[in-house]
Amino acid sequence: MKELKDRIVAGERAAIAKAITLVESSREEDIQQSHELISQLIKSPGHAIRVGFSGPPGVGKSTFIESFGTFLVNKNFKLGVLAIDPSSNFTGGSILGDKTRMSEISKNDNTFIRSTPSRGSLGGIAVGTREAAIILDAAGYDYIFIETVGVGQSEITAANLVDIFTLIVGPGSGDELQGIKKGITEYADLFIVNKNDGDLAAQASKTASDYKSALSFYNKESNTLDTQVVLVSSVENKGMDLVLDAYNQITETNKNSSEFQNRRKNQLSYWLEEEVRNKILLKLDKDREISKKIANEVTKIISGDTGFYTASQAIIDTFLDKNK
Amino acid sequence: MKKDKNNRLNDWEKKFVKEVKIEASNEFSYETDEGISINPLYTSEDLLNYEFNDVNSLPGEWPYTRGPKASMYTNRPWTIRQYAGFSTAEESNKFYRKNLEAGQMGLSVAFDLPTHRGYDSDDEIVMGDVGKAGVAIDSVEDMKILFDGIPLEKMSVSMTMNGAVLPVLAAFIVAGEEQGLDKKVLSGTIQNDILKEFMVRNTYIYPPEPSMRIVADIIEYTANEMPKFNSISISGYHMQEAGANNVQELAFTLADGMEYVRAAMSKGLAVDDFAPRLSFFFAIGTDFFMEIAKLRAARTLWARIMQDFGAKDEKSLTLRTHCQTSGVSLTEKDPYNNIVRTSYEALSAILGGTQSLHTNSFDEAIALPTEFSSRIARNTQLILQNETGVTNTVDPLAGSYFVEKLTEDMCSAAWKIIEEVEEMGGMTKAVAAGMPKLSIEESATKKQAKIDSGKRIVVGVNKFKNPKEPKIDVLVIDNEKVREDQIKKITILKEKRNNDLLREKLSIITEAAKNKKGNLLELCVEAIRARGTVGEVSKALEDAFGRHYATNLGVSGVYGKFFEKDDKFMAIQNKINNFEKENGRRPRVLIVKMGQDGHDRGAKIVATSFADLGFDIDMGPLFQSPKDVAKDAIENDVHAIGVSTLAAGHKTLVPELMKQLKALDKSNKIIVFVGGVIPEQDYQFLYDNEVSAIFGPGTSILDSAEKVIELISKK
Ligand code: B12
Ligand SMILES: Nc1nc2c(ncn2[C@@H]2O[C@H](COP(=O)(O)OP(=O)(O)OP(=O)(O)O)[C@@H](O)[C@H]2O)c(=O)[nH]1
Repeated sequence: MKELKDRIVAGERAAIAKAITLVESSREEDIQQSHELISQLIKSPGHAIRVGFSGPPGVGKSTFIESFGTFLVNKNFKLGVLAIDPSSNFTGGSILGDKTRMSEISKNDNTFIRSTPSRGSLGGIAVGTREAAIILDAAGYDYIFIETVGVGQSEITAANLVDIFTLIVGPGSGDELQGIKKGITEYADLFIVNKNDGDLAAQASKTASDYKSALSFYNKESNTLDTQVVLVSSVENKGMDLVLDAYNQITETNKNSSEFQNRRKNQLSYWLEEEVRNKILLKLDKDREISKKIANEVTKIISGDTGFYTASQAIIDTFLDKNK
Repeated sequence: MKKDKNNRLNDWEKKFVKEVKIEASNEFSYETDEGISINPLYTSEDLLNYEFNDVNSLPGEWPYTRGPKASMYTNRPWTIRQYAGFSTAEESNKFYRKNLEAGQMGLSVAFDLPTHRGYDSDDEIVMGDVGKAGVAIDSVEDMKILFDGIPLEKMSVSMTMNGAVLPVLAAFIVAGEEQGLDKKVLSGTIQNDILKEFMVRNTYIYPPEPSMRIVADIIEYTANEMPKFNSISISGYHMQEAGANNVQELAFTLADGMEYVRAAMSKGLAVDDFAPRLSFFFAIGTDFFMEIAKLRAARTLWARIMQDFGAKDEKSLTLRTHCQTSGVSLTEKDPYNNIVRTSYEALSAILGGTQSLHTNSFDEAIALPTEFSSRIARNTQLILQNETGVTNTVDPLAGSYFVEKLTEDMCSAAWKIIEEVEEMGGMTKAVAAGMPKLSIEESATKKQAKIDSGKRIVVGVNKFKNPKEPKIDVLVIDNEKVREDQIKKITILKEKRNNDLLREKLSIITEAAKNKKGNLLELCVEAIRARGTVGEVSKALEDAFGRHYATNLGVSGVYGKFFEKDDKFMAIQNKINNFEKENGRRPRVLIVKMGQDGHDRGAKIVATSFADLGFDIDMGPLFQSPKDVAKDAIENDVHAIGVSTLAAGHKTLVPELMKQLKALDKSNKIIVFVGGVIPEQDYQFLYDNEVSAIFGPGTSILDSAEKVIELISKK
């Protein structure tokens, strides 16, 4: 593991890739190894800013990342992209086609682009995405983009992985706005209205001002900037400088107000809690003795030998005793 | 005694049922790929109630179902026009001259892929592709060599060029000029059909919108300056070859035509000023009667469409077409069978009333044709023209209950799709939305599934195999030599010319492209005359327009559906599931196209079918370099890379990929396999370069999947 870690820190592409495979793997030995690796990497973090992108299918997330990513690498930044691809087949296989829309940045020596099938996992985040970001951070990438499928819960889960969370929307009707309104100020640091070009330009500007006025009703906490709205065209590479400016401002403000550090702390605590919860649940699920006890207690509840809540307490006690 | 018709039909039904021991004759009705049902019997009843086809019409008469002209082949047979081109202009010129002597009647130039995509032969990016799949043309000097000794005022020349259409057509015009000819006398056809490039052919350069302007500029220029030149060849050929069924081919082609008419009218041209110079191009596959009906239906519908555009000139109303027999129907296995297939297809094209024809060579699925295979292909037509008597009667199948009904059925099925496209706002919009491309890919996948599951028989491939495959000679092109020769010529050209003058001409092009002003062909003629190269002119346009990148979609689930509960399919799925259990993830395969090869039908079908089987498939974009592929493969930590290569770049590109993989990861263990058109002579070369398996044309996808999972598991 030490060797793998060193190779990652040295920025070796193949090592980074293997490490991401480890953290995504469902094989027991891989999971053990990945724990070891991540514990080591977490001790000496890099300086990456992690940015999340979410938005409805087809708004141009990949195309935006291609355009903005090109803008960044031309400024000599190193960019890692973790693309969570929703396409999963009825048989369990999948076609990962993101890279066809990121063909320019894929070629660049200063990028690392990895796609992962979401396999329908909740929140549009794949197993191992958080860990993959840690690996890219340790490898010295300046920006890490996490592109997720934009459905329901995903915004919140994705927002919990990143320093800056971006929602991308298209020149659309007000309906979308209604759906998004709730809670947006909490999670999105930036709204990007894409497709500000050609026939769609007028509609895009209108959408942007609709969002702006909707957002003005929500007061942000004082330690962050108000959510901004930026108009871009990913196909015409317009507005990319505005996006970078916005990110720089957000980062600076958040760092000055300690919001940046607080978020990372909260995310760590969220992650820790999640890990603990998952482990306990897993243990509980696998415990044969507990399943038997549940069955027994059910019989007793039905026959009137015990009460429902007494039974549940008894089961919990047994489980806790066993795992002392 | 004369029984009434109904009684006689009943008698026939009884006899039929008795002969074949089934309940009713319609159990023998057959549903085609197009969803048209073909019955065991047609009668005069089937000639009634038509909306499109007029069975009483005559040749050269509305709605022109029976042919654009009254006399058809009785006066002059169709033009034998063989599509060819390879290596350098010098080599191709020699080949053309020999063919003309041997009875070919018109020329048809096949350019190499770098020329198609607007790159000069000295560009690093096209290393493996120069002169390989067509002739390399870098400047007007090459164009002059290509037609050396061929009188352009007499010979009609067809050029398949779409992406780099401006510099190439300009070079043709200037070559004529320097042969001492006014452009007015030049006759021939430029393909100039960009919409189908975005759909299926993949030699686009610029995004759709500026590309449509180029089309319109060319129609405008030729309408004013080149009265004998067809400004466009609206092509369905490539759609069928990419997997479209006949109705899709017909509908999308006519819908493309409508879009070009609108583009030209937007330039202020009156419809009858340019419409007589619109020409068409269809594929003729093995479905004998369907193909005949398709050509008859095409003429019928086009007349109606043009009438709606207000055309008055009869030449605007009539659809004239070139046809080519289907390459994809030809097999690598037992290749002499292809001579037979091509003969039937050629007959079908003639009975359908084509104006000119290319017949494919029997080595189609192996490499570019040799002199020997080209001769047989050409003779197939010469025999039809001179020995069979098919030219003696116009539209000999008219009045056939079956053919007339099928013509009508084709018309109404295609019309439905055309209406759907029109509702989307026309073909440019439909193409941008990916509609035609996806429906063609779906058809292609279904065809593959039918063959792999044995539901469709291909002789020599999935049945009646030849235990002793014949060895055949193949045409070998030394692309490094071609590249060197081309570079020499480019260097001399650049030394001799006036660079200041050229720079000015090029910047005028960029400006005009940006400002949407001026006629781009006119400006390109000047730059080419000033000895600008195809690459330089293309670049000047790119500076204004940008380059187009396609996003690869695919239709999943289509292949898998054909194999529900199939033992072999499920066995492979099981292997994959076990692999996942043991390895913590699914087998992951990157499928790629490298270089300028745009044949993506196979790659896409294999990708979606593999995903249906349970693989995780990474799909690379078109036109990747070996270095890009290596980076993708390493970053995504794939188990294997499947290279799909059809345009003969494999001997350059595959070894380069191996080198790039090692450069990124010394201990690299990624398995590489190759699929596509690979002559057997090259197998050992690839194995020596650490290729683990080769899957040629006709491979069952299930077989290849089985082999791939086995190789990955062994690792
Ligand atoms: C269809 C076709 C076209 C279509 C392509 C449509 C499309 N979007 O793909 C059209 C009409 C547009 C076309 C155009 C051209 N074509 Co073409 N075309 C063919 C043709 C007839 C069939 C190819 C095909 O699609 N077969 C069906 C698919 C399903 O089969 P496949 O790709 O072989 O895949 C199977 C296996 O090979 C294998 N496989 C393939 N890839 C992979 C990958 C993996 C991972 C695995 C496991 C397996 C696998 O499994 C598949 C299933 O069985 C071949 C000849 C032939 N019969 O093979 C010529 C051929 C490939 N074309 C040729 C040429 C020259 C051209 C042009 C360059 C002509 C020109 N000068 O303008 C153009 C340019 C196209 C471009 N942009 O590159 C030449 C190439 C010459 C050579 N290799 O030496 C060929 C060989 C014909 C010939 N003999 O002249 N073409
Ligand atoms: N006009 C215009 N079209 C755009 C722009 N950005 C993307 N598109 C188009 O929108 C479509 C979807 O783009 P993608 O990048 O695939 O969108 P996505 O959000 O990643 O989509 P999913 O991966 O399906 O969720 C493509 O056809 C793009 O060409 C833009 O700025 N302007």
